[in-house]
Amino acid sequence: MSALTTNAEHKKNKKKRELTLKYWKPWSQFWNISGIVIILLALVENISVPSQEDVNNKPYQIFLIVYFLYLSFTTVWGWIFRQGHLRAYSGHFSQLNVSLGILLIVQDLLTEKFSILAQPFFVSFAQIIEQITTDHKLLWDSTVSSTVLWLVSFIVGALIGVVFGLLMGRYRQFNYWAFPYLKVIGIIPAAAWMPLTLVIFPTSYMSEIFLIAFAVWFPVAFMTIGGVQGISSEYFESAKTLGFSEWRIMWKIVIPGSLPSMFIGIFTALGLSFTMLVISEMMGAKVGLGWYINWARGVGNYTQVYAAIVIMAVLFSLIFVISNKFQTYFLRWREQNNH
Amino acid sequence: MVQLAIRNVSRTLQDNNGQPLEILKDINFQASSGEFISIIGPSGCGKTTLLRLISGLDTPEKGDVTVDGNKVTAPNVSRGYVFQHGSLFPWETIEENISSGLKALNGRNYDKELVQHYIELMGLKGFESSYPHQVSGGMAQRAALARSIVMKPKLLLLDEPMGALDAFTRADVQEVIHQVWQQTKTTMVLVTHDIDEAIYLSTRIIIMTPRPGEIKEIVTNPLDFPRNRTSTEFMDLRKIIQDKLNFY
Repeated sequence: MSALTTNAEHKKNKKKRELTLKYWKPWSQFWNISGIVIILLALVENISVPSQEDVNNKPYQIFLIVYFLYLSFTTVWGWIFRQGHLRAYSGHFSQLNVSLGILLIVQDLLTEKFSILAQPFFVSFAQIIEQITTDHKLLWDSTVSSTVLWLVSFIVGALIGVVFGLLMGRYRQFNYWAFPYLKVIGIIPAAAWMPLTLVIFPTSYMSEIFLIAFAVWFPVAFMTIGGVQGISSEYFESAKTLGFSEWRIMWKIVIPGSLPSMFIGIFTALGLSFTMLVISEMMGAKVGLGWYINWARGVGNYTQVYAAIVIMAVLFSLIFVISNKFQTYFLRWREQNNH
Repeated sequence: MVQLAIRNVSRTLQDNNGQPLEILKDINFQASSGEFISIIGPSGCGKTTLLRLISGLDTPEKGDVTVDGNKVTAPNVSRGYVFQHGSLFPWETIEENISSGLKALNGRNYDKELVQHYIELMGLKGFESSYPHQVSGGMAQRAALARSIVMKPKLLLLDEPMGALDAFTRADVQEVIHQVWQQTKTTMVLVTHDIDEAIYLSTRIIIMTPRPGEIKEIVTNPLDFPRNRTSTEFMDLRKIIQDKLNFY
């Protein structure tokens, strides 16, 4: 980076450079059109080859049409405007779209068309989508309930972790008294507490919150401690010569300085929290995606299990993406030279 | 008028093996208000330790440091400190960094015009919202200098702030420091290993011996401002100090 560019120029250049770093595959007419053709083929295949199994293919076909229209739109857009985010994005993922189209055709033929992978344990994507549309109300309620439970528990766990981590990282006395307990208690897998929490807590919802928060608390606290202890002493000394109060040192030095490490803890906790969410819902809950899977297993409808898995994939990816955005925003001051 | 007084100060630290290491031995000197003192000496002679003792970041076992008659026991905003690597907070923008001390002191109603004044004086206009890693080393040092000087300290302590800079940037930062000193009349104490820098900036130069650091001599700089680095008087003084620094 040249020091001679002003901030506005710098930001613009940075954005452009980030775009080409992130979406590094160059735009290719061939791959974009191939993607469109493959999705069209998947649609034709699904309509023309007769199904061996009982399935309503309409929702799947609508999905393919929407996918086809989306790819056509981005291709035309990129072809006309020749720059910008959408072109870089669709150009970069065009090869992946082709592979996804092939995958859709292959799985459709293997399952519902020729029953090589047969029901009930293997189902086609068309059957999963059909299941999602027929169960959409129950699934929506389950998704909302799981999301709320996850959000509350994660925030509680992360907050406790951050507070403990900051105090232990900053104050020797606190570290002396709390760290040994953290090490011994935090290392226990949250799932091990499950039989106890179900009896100890008055409601199963509270026990679920406890279990998920417990899974989150430890990695966040542990990484926050490391983050605080890794802050260069020069920042603390500067703060002292600038007349910072202890409270201000905490707020302006300790918290921002430990954020990079804190985020590593948060991302570790994210995976653990998803695991605990599903497990705890399977055990005690009467609602939620984990409960839905357990219920589907009970009645032997594996298509429903697949449906819940697909929804989880979307939901958890979304949470991951949002968390990443938070990280990018809060760590915007960090030098990014690891490309 | 004597502002800074250092009396019989000694400091012993521990080396990596836990053995006591005498860093400073029997340091005595005084500085008047508005002076520019440079402390020069071989590396490891305790220059930085001495500066830390003046700031209150460290305390001596023997002797005491007083500023305006008050004994120094802890860091205070009246004694600014610029670190070797600036130590701007990387998570704050240049402007946030410069105003951080003022905000700590006065809350949101800090003197924004003063901050703007120094942003312009330091040539940081247009970079207010940049983060430290986005600006050059010279700019970061000027920002660190501004962050301390906006606090209007009685004493500004400079710990080799130009040590990590290239020759061009160094001259540029020296010029800024000189300008600030002349405008604000702040007493400054500069630790450096660069003889030219010491001669160019200071009114008196303290020459220290290798460890344990003692004051070998205090040289009064007779040169008038503006100083010319290539003048004969400058060269002569340079030679005198160079000779005094030949310990081996």
